[in-house]
Amino acid sequence: MTSHEWFIEQRQAFVIRALERDEEQAFHEHLSGCAECREATTALEHDLAWLPLGASPIAPRPGFNRSVVDAALGRRSAERRWFAPLALAASLLLALGSLWWARHTVSREAERFAIRQAELGSALASVQDTLSILRRAGTVRHANITMGEYQGGMVILADNQSHRWNVVVYGLPAPHDGQVCQFWFITDRGMVKGLAVPTSVGAATVLTLAMPPGNYQVKGAALTMEASASAAPAPQGKELAHLML
Amino acid sequence: MPQGFGPAPTAPDGSPPERGGPPGLGLSLAHEASLQSRLIARDEQALVELVGFASPWLLGVALGMLSDRDEAEEVVHETFTIVWRRVDLFDQESGRLLPWLLRIARNRAIDRLRARRRRTLKLRRLEAYGAPGERVAPAIEPDESARPGWHVHDTVHQALGTLPQEQHAVVDLAYFQGLTQSEIAEQLGIPLGTVKTRLRLAFDKLRPRLAGIREWVL
Repeated sequence: MTSHEWFIEQRQAFVIRALERDEEQAFHEHLSGCAECREATTALEHDLAWLPLGASPIAPRPGFNRSVVDAALGRRSAERRWFAPLALAASLLLALGSLWWARHTVSREAERFAIRQAELGSALASVQDTLSILRRAGTVRHANITMGEYQGGMVILADNQSHRWNVVVYGLPAPHDGQVCQFWFITDRGMVKGLAVPTSVGAATVLTLAMPPGNYQVKGAALTMEASASAAPAPQGKELAHLML
Repeated sequence: MPQGFGPAPTAPDGSPPERGGPPGLGLSLAHEASLQSRLIARDEQALVELVGFASPWLLGVALGMLSDRDEAEEVVHETFTIVWRRVDLFDQESGRLLPWLLRIARNRAIDRLRARRRRTLKLRRLEAYGAPGERVAPAIEPDESARPGWHVHDTVHQALGTLPQEQHAVVDLAYFQGLTQSEIAEQLGIPLGTVKTRLRLAFDKLRPRLAGIREWVL
């Protein structure tokens, strides 16, 4: 069991931690006195260095990376401090909502409360995500847009760490019937269709966008006015603006 | 163009920008070394960069073993806390920074798995949710946060994909699910010696393939 041959046979299992606890302990003790096994296991560790990347990556939840940094630095999460008043307001809203719903049946109240809670949670996460990008934007671009008598514009705030954008479109009238304001990514392989952007003179539209799936080099973005029925993969309508990063 | 939005450009002659590897997507060797120096110098921005870059991969490793998002996030917290406190003790000659992080995260996940006796639950879960090996190399598209390092991930998957199914399964259970050889034998209902043989054969095949990419950058 504990001959040198056994340790040689079990090197791989030791390095990947597939040994039982007592076996692992025995291997550790053996390593302290066996240079050959130390060298062999170190070499094996180096060769398998990237094997953990066989696991699929998981996108962190909004605010998670900030909390990791804060925890490592031994301080409270700044975002949590910042969002404390928001969380309090949300709690108050929930409490008020609960009182109002108390007039209804218990089951109906519980159901609607859960829906409201989910909506608020979603809204909070969305605000947190948007602010996170806003605060870390390393690249900001702006274009003026003129549509008849209206003067508006498009702003891109790009977070170079998470590769996500906040896109703000403002001051533009709602499209005519049968038309849609279309966002496009300008990439190394041409235009890639993004979202249709709802527009209104009275309110800016704020979008949080991930980069298009696929191995694209995103070089900029454009806004066009397209026929709403169009399924064309490339712009066909009038260009309103384009921005290069 | 913002850094990391797509593949980094190759050199004018078309050669890869780093020794031996494909085009780096996010972190060159020089950047990795610079990050380590800045971490040692207690540069908090370096920690921010490292967390932004590595946390999706560490979450993937931890979640694969623990099957619990909250606990996986705790593992990532612990990993970066250890890195921040001990980076000055990290010997660059003995390895690279990011594999060190991955190793810490994996070890912490395994420690949790075993200390909390989750393995019993995991075995039950595995019995309930299908054959082992099916979760290795899931065919999913990279999202924007996962792009840096995706070429390494893809290459590792290709290496795993060359294994026969029975070897693939034991590698999945041992390396990505954190089970011991005995637990794998119990799980698959095969002799312990067979598990050892399959693991040995699998790693005999994987090792040269993975050794070929050990100097790659993410």
